[in-house]
Amino acid sequence: MLAAPSVWIVIPALNEARTIGEVVAPLRAHGWRVLVIDDGSHDTTAAAAQAGGAVVLRHAINLGQGAGLRTGFAFVRAQPEARIVVTYDADGQHQPESVATLLGALEQSGADVALGSRFLDPAASREIPTSRRALLRLATLFTRATTGLRLTDAHNGLRALTVEAATRLRLTHNRMAHASEILSEIARLGLRYVEAPVTIRYTDYSMAKGQRPLDAIAILWDIFTAGLR
Amino acid sequence: MLRSQVLLIVLLAALALYLFRLRTTPRDRLLYVLMVGIAVPLVLFPDASNVVAHAVGIGRGADLVFYLFIIFSLFHFATSASRIRQLERQLTQLVQDRALDAPGLPHDHGSSSA
Repeated sequence: MLAAPSVWIVIPALNEARTIGEVVAPLRAHGWRVLVIDDGSHDTTAAAAQAGGAVVLRHAINLGQGAGLRTGFAFVRAQPEARIVVTYDADGQHQPESVATLLGALEQSGADVALGSRFLDPAASREIPTSRRALLRLATLFTRATTGLRLTDAHNGLRALTVEAATRLRLTHNRMAHASEILSEIARLGLRYVEAPVTIRYTDYSMAKGQRPLDAIAILWDIFTAGLR
Repeated sequence: MLRSQVLLIVLLAALALYLFRLRTTPRDRLLYVLMVGIAVPLVLFPDASNVVAHAVGIGRGADLVFYLFIIFSLFHFATSASRIRQLERQLTQLVQDRALDAPGLPHDHGSSSA
């Protein structure tokens, strides 16, 4: 069984002072280490996260969620007892129980990466608003076509990786396209992956914070122009 | 010399001076010397562009200048974009290194579960 302190949960956060404490505290209650990357917030996100029990790294300016995860991975890699790194959203849409599910799946399968999916559990997938479901289906088809990974959910922010696997990922996108980039890196490196069912709580708050259909176009643009870098 | 020619040459000279002070790499300097070196004779002898245009099969000198302007703009756009990306990468590295240098510890540090 994985000792809880060997698990680090990395949460990039931007202006989440209102909710970040409630997101961090239950994770700490499970004994996991929590690292919040304050990505240039203009509010008291950092203080609220520390009060909730998280270690906080602060980006002096906003870089984006992808850069936040990279900073987080770099920190966790330097922690001697760290074995597993979990990526988690700051807006309260993920559940601590889902982290336990992912860790269990990772340990049982011996895989390098466990990816959260909203579509493995039919009851859970019915909770997803129709407009969002259509967008997610499209993204999943796109991922299958470009990476060959056979996933049921391509853009889930909840993932568990061994620290070795996280270290090997070569990530360059600062902003939202990192989700696709993580998957294409998994494919490129030939990492062993499993999916595990997670439920997402869609609140008005997380819907407003979440991605809109227009963001899909921005993400595609990021991916296609990446070749010019 | 026409008044418009005087005005254009003064503006070109000012631009050249400014660019020279702004950009210091030899490659950029060469490029600007080349541009001004082409522009000044064209201002003084506007018909010259017609001769060159006809020689390469373009109807008017003004069209030739316009096409060259478009190509130069695209070139400039591409080099600027790659420079911006490079700056972005450097900035990202700097911000990340700074963040990693100063971790904020949890307020429950030292309690039972930490």
